[in-house]
Amino acid sequence: MASRGGLTWLMIIVILCNAFAAAAGLALFALAIWVAVDGYKLYPISGVSGKDDIFAGAWIAIFTGFAYFCTCIFGIYAARKQRRSLMLAYLIIMFIIFIFECASCITAATNRDYLVGNSNVVKKQMLQYYAEDSTKGREITKTWNKVMQDVECCGTDSPLDWVEYNSTFRQLYGTTYPWPLNCCKRLSSFEVADSQGCIIGQTSTMFTRGCFTHIESVLSRYTWAVSWYGFSVQMFVFFMLLIAMVYFTQLG
Amino acid sequence: MEVYLVLCFICMLPIPAKSITTVDCKPAINESLAAKITINTVILQQPRCCFDNLTNLPCTSNTCEIWLVPAVDTGLSTFDANKASSAILSLSPYPTAFTGSSPANYFLTKVGLQSDFPCVSPSPGGYFRVGADGACSTTNCNGFLPQGSSPSFKYLLVDSVNKTVLAETKWSDSIALYTLKDPGTLGDGFAGRSGAMVIITTLLSVAAAVLLLFLIVVLALCCCGGKSKGSGSVVGSVMGSFRIPRYDTHHLKDPAPYDNPAYEKERKYTTQDTLPKTKATSAVNPVTQDTIKLQKI
Repeated sequence: MASRGGLTWLMIIVILCNAFAAAAGLALFALAIWVAVDGYKLYPISGVSGKDDIFAGAWIAIFTGFAYFCTCIFGIYAARKQRRSLMLAYLIIMFIIFIFECASCITAATNRDYLVGNSNVVKKQMLQYYAEDSTKGREITKTWNKVMQDVECCGTDSPLDWVEYNSTFRQLYGTTYPWPLNCCKRLSSFEVADSQGCIIGQTSTMFTRGCFTHIESVLSRYTWAVSWYGFSVQMFVFFMLLIAMVYFTQLG
Repeated sequence: MEVYLVLCFICMLPIPAKSITTVDCKPAINESLAAKITINTVILQQPRCCFDNLTNLPCTSNTCEIWLVPAVDTGLSTFDANKASSAILSLSPYPTAFTGSSPANYFLTKVGLQSDFPCVSPSPGGYFRVGADGACSTTNCNGFLPQGSSPSFKYLLVDSVNKTVLAETKWSDSIALYTLKDPGTLGDGFAGRSGAMVIITTLLSVAAAVLLLFLIVVLALCCCGGKSKGSGSVVGSVMGSFRIPRYDTHHLKDPAPYDNPAYEKERKYTTQDTLPKTKATSAVNPVTQDTIKLQKI
């Protein structure tokens, strides 16, 4: 049997790692809640396209983060008790949570690549659904209006997206306005500052940069929160579980 | 008769047609505006300093008008052939300019008075939007250009009294209007895998597989492999919880220390045979074992 001193050191290491993993799991839980709450209100862009697994990954991470917290506390108890049955239960539960968290990280990263790998998906969605009178259309219109006003941008890559491509907006409102009036600068009374200048495209009266950089940075921020932080927790838990398995084999 | 003949002779003399001066100006797009080209409108720079150096004009800058000719394809040559005509302003009305079996492919629209465009502009940012009137129906309205066409433009100096062209600029370069592209042509398929996604996927998959493997190995080693191995490392597996290597059995007639066979291999103590024979070791008399006599050692 391993010397009692060695076993005690291993037990202390397992307990400390479990304490750290419990804290990391709780942080993952909190971070995933932040992503799921979607403070930037950009969910419709991924929801309408059907690829909303960044948020699904966040929901999974909420559960796995909290499960890591609870199971690691149980792991501290099991390591202290030095009972094989408890350690075995701990190892199996941690492995199951590990698998779920892997799924969350991978699916969030993959869906981010689909949505904002290049601007085509977002641009196509904007042209098709903006000003359309359907559920999806209303959601997209509301989201884009908010983004254009808050971030001071127009179109996906530039306002010329509205000019170059056919769109529901173009079909509904003709060619009087080259782009929606939300692209125009507004006074504090929310009236358009200079609607004639906006129609001809004077750069002082409208927003001329595209909105894609903002959308891409927000969705990337959500994804990196779920998948990169989840990945780092997974790596730590991986090595901790290896140490716990060694401890398990050394137990009586 | 002679007077009649002289008059006829004078009449037959060719009347010199007033030639149209071509000034060295070329209409250009106003590059600073975002909507300079759309599918049916173009925003041009204003015609400043184009006609200001002309002399001997029958109109003053307050009565000379500046007009614009947008022309497409054959319209350029058609207009150039007809520009000396005195009815040029209404020769090709806008509603029929681009329609029909053999359209004229040009129209004329008024830009303003020459005095509206002095050489030194009082305020910057002047522009003229061709197509501002939309789908209009008067003869000289500023209507939409044909979608997707490549028009050229020319400014004219027109006498407001005679309605004839006095001077003109050169033709501009042909400006290609946008044709509306179908958003379905935007390829929204494979956008490429980012490096982050590849790293996360491979490392996590490998980690999960390794963990599963080690878990199975550990379970196999500890739960299933334990029964087939010897008990050398296990304390007391033969005698249950007895951990005593050697003990006296007090109920026997011939008490001799009992050697626990579980400790066969680990015998580091003396046996009955190797104990030193002193009186102290034979203190118990088997005959009178029930009475204990103290003996002096």
